[in-house]
Amino acid sequence: MRNLAVSLLSLTVLASAVGIASAQAAPSSQVMSMRRLTQAEYRNSIADIFGKEIEVRGSFEPTIRVGGLQAASTSVLSVTPVGFESFTNMADSIAVQVTGEKYRAKLPCTPKDAKTPDDACTAQVLSFYGRQLYRRPLTQDEIKASVKLSNGLAKSQNDFYAGLRYGLASLLQAPDFVFRMETAVPAGNKQWALDPYSRATRLSYLMWDSTPDAELLQAAEKGELNTAAGLEKQVDRLMASPRLDAGMRAFFNDMLELDTFDTVSKDSILYPKWSSGIAASAREETLRTAIDLALHENGDMRDLMTTRKTFLNRNLAADYQLPFQFKGDWVPYEFAAGSGRSGILTQASMLTMFSHPGRSSPTKRGVAMMDIFLCEPTPAPPANVDFSVVNDVNGALKTVRERLTAHATNSTCASCHNHSDPIGLSLEGFDTIAQRRTMENGKEIDLSATIQGKKFSGSEGLGKFLHDNPKYTSCMARKVYAYSRGENSEDVSASAFKTANKSFADSGFRMRSLLKAIVEDKDYFSAPTPETTSAPTKVAAQ
Amino acid sequence: MKFDRRFLLRGTCQGALAVMALPFLDCFLDSKGKVLAATGRPLPTRFNTFFFGLGLTKQLWIPKTGGKSYEMTGQLKPLEPYRAKLNVFSGLRVPLDDNPNYQHWSGAAAAATGISPTKQSEFDSKTIDQQIADTISHGARFKSISASAAGDPKQSYSSLGGANTLPAEASPLSLYTRLFGPGFQDPTKGDWKPDPQAMIQQSVLSVVADNRKRVMQNLGSADRARMDQYFTSVREAELQMAAQLQRPEIQAKVTIPDAPAEMVCNNALPNLRKVTPIMARLGALALATDQTRVFNLSVSEPGSQIFMPGDSLGYHQSTHEEPIDPVLGYQPRVAQYNVDTMELFAMLLKELDGVPEGDGTILDHSLVFAFTDQSFAKIHAVDGLPIFVAGGASGRMKAGFHVAGDSSPVSRVGLTIQKAMGVSLDVWGKGSMEIRQPYTDLLA
Repeated sequence: MRNLAVSLLSLTVLASAVGIASAQAAPSSQVMSMRRLTQAEYRNSIADIFGKEIEVRGSFEPTIRVGGLQAASTSVLSVTPVGFESFTNMADSIAVQVTGEKYRAKLPCTPKDAKTPDDACTAQVLSFYGRQLYRRPLTQDEIKASVKLSNGLAKSQNDFYAGLRYGLASLLQAPDFVFRMETAVPAGNKQWALDPYSRATRLSYLMWDSTPDAELLQAAEKGELNTAAGLEKQVDRLMASPRLDAGMRAFFNDMLELDTFDTVSKDSILYPKWSSGIAASAREETLRTAIDLALHENGDMRDLMTTRKTFLNRNLAADYQLPFQFKGDWVPYEFAAGSGRSGILTQASMLTMFSHPGRSSPTKRGVAMMDIFLCEPTPAPPANVDFSVVNDVNGALKTVRERLTAHATNSTCASCHNHSDPIGLSLEGFDTIAQRRTMENGKEIDLSATIQGKKFSGSEGLGKFLHDNPKYTSCMARKVYAYSRGENSEDVSASAFKTANKSFADSGFRMRSLLKAIVEDKDYFSAPTPETTSAPTKVAAQ
Repeated sequence: MKFDRRFLLRGTCQGALAVMALPFLDCFLDSKGKVLAATGRPLPTRFNTFFFGLGLTKQLWIPKTGGKSYEMTGQLKPLEPYRAKLNVFSGLRVPLDDNPNYQHWSGAAAAATGISPTKQSEFDSKTIDQQIADTISHGARFKSISASAAGDPKQSYSSLGGANTLPAEASPLSLYTRLFGPGFQDPTKGDWKPDPQAMIQQSVLSVVADNRKRVMQNLGSADRARMDQYFTSVREAELQMAAQLQRPEIQAKVTIPDAPAEMVCNNALPNLRKVTPIMARLGALALATDQTRVFNLSVSEPGSQIFMPGDSLGYHQSTHEEPIDPVLGYQPRVAQYNVDTMELFAMLLKELDGVPEGDGTILDHSLVFAFTDQSFAKIHAVDGLPIFVAGGASGRMKAGFHVAGDSSPVSRVGLTIQKAMGVSLDVWGKGSMEIRQPYTDLLA
């Protein structure tokens, strides 16, 4: 009886809420963010929904970097005709495989007759996969449209599966799949918040770099993600899974700008040793290092700046000039003390990506490290600058440091170069392909640097400087927060991740604590109140 | 039996060729001497862009005199063979109005849109190739095709506006596969039949397009624009399928080669010298077979990262760091890279001019707009941007001129091109680059 009263009460509340909403012509839901799936998110989603045996062949539109993260550009970019052409081809190719003879046994139903349409079975298949593709249940209208398409084509080809193929393909290229939509709904007290399915989606792509699994969708359906306990249960489950590796790999790949390797080329005459194999290995080395520290060791993320522990394969051993007698692909390795190696700062990835093809570049390295690790982007240089002195290797100034210093005496240049160059100069002990060196043009390299009044020397000094710098850890917190929401990290206010940053510090800078604190923050799923003036629902409906 | 114009023309043509040995070209000319394809329809006029970063060296590229009888300069030497089909524009202004000079961007964006960009790496409107494609591409399989010889899909200066650029094909193989892989219908083959698959795909796309009304609800304005672009892309895919259901119109005298091998595509000049002509050739074949009427080729990003192995600085760093030689008065290494990029440009012209059709070549029935980001890269200057327009636009553009600096805004070239391409417009560009007066002397 009491339960019934409660339900009746809530029905009344709901009805009156709807009444008010329609009277004011306010939208009952609003898409707050629309993110184009990345290549990895697309591939992982397809593998999770249909199985790893389904091949995804095709190209993906490139992303760009906004506020240091590609993730932020997914909220800005759209699908161009070239991109859609690829999506539509991939959709068809996936649908062909899923409706092919080999796969059919896995479908949730079999048609009464394989030669004729069977709308009930089609609807069952499409709602089953559609829910995973759209990350929410399909509406009756959505199912109907695709069932109708399947029916017509099954009929004309006398083949149930041929019809099903196209119905499924229509879902696989729909905007609801290729974009991750975050929908906000009224949450009481004039507040708005993400609906449960949008919460599940945000959590899943952050933690696993993929679409929500059955359990997470079910938790969304039951409203569990709207309670603190229900949310924590799912967060803990996602984080306990080894699949967290994939999610955090995607994050580190983005934050550390490892996609830069896609266009890195080295001078084959000056550095004949360099190869695309080393490039791929260098990227992998850094990801392994980060994941091992963050997740497998549950280590202090500050150590990413200082650790001498890494993972090597034969390619990298050659680049680092180390003997490699191991069997197998990858082995853990610890650089010797005094080797000058300091965390990922001195890994081949960071040192080679931010260099010229034929020489190191303290400026490029400095600018990149300031942006990546301290969230301090360097402004573009003024248009009319004389850099000639930097280049004249035959002149009196033998090392890059001497030449850069001469250049930076120009006051318009000094402010920025004093900002970014010290970091780069302290890394001059490594050439453009990350090999150690002590001399440049016959002169010993000076590795000393001063940043913000702090003096240090060499890569180890730099590693320690960053390790102890609270800006580094708060920059990481800022980037995880922005990455998970697809926002420009430069536009994120410090207060948005303040609690999470504190939990990060309190835990001794454990990645898991940071992640958990970010997604369990009370405001993480809240959304700004949409402007009622737009009222697009009504306008569009008329 | 019905004798339509197409049938008759083909019949007499083939008859003439066999019996009377009439010169090949003559039988494709109608009474007014207008070019006809074997189908009896006029050949489409095509549009190409060529992007090269970092401009040229003023002292070395600008001919001393204007008009037709100018003396070829050192940096333009590679273009000498195409001189009669080329217009050279010097002294063009690029007024940026109140916007900053976005280094390695403002000049390129201004040339491509006639608008001084308000953001780094974003176009403030559709680029010129897309504006022209809206007019000329109807019926072609692809509205436009872009390729990056340096192997970077981001090196595309073709955009529908904003930060989204239409990704470039990043290797000869991917360019080949897109053009001549699945879905390609060889117009030189006689046994053409409409592909039933294309019709089915049309009905799938129609269901996808039907999502529009539903999805557009509840979107903020920025996301509405993005979603609108998605549905525009769906529409273009539908048009692509429609084009595939038509019998290919052009009976080009070309053979589609086998797929090219995988190649290293990067900023190293020796690789660019190998890749550029292959991509240019594939582009020319795509135009000849009406796979597309708009082909964009880039050899670098703005701020070109091209380098010659052994030169530890490379092109871009050299422009900023190489001292000006006190005797020569310019940067010698930079000057060499300038010529290198003109050689790459010449490779495109060679391939376009190497495919005969009707009374001329693909180049004669095209325009090629070549542009760059800086006039003097060392100081990121944009005024005086070197601009080239090659091809005859099927007789609508006169060529062979050096249009010497008359301080016109760079948009005047864009307006002239569009007039020649048959785009209906009276004004192009914005702010100080808004222009109404094309180079009428160049328009035939």
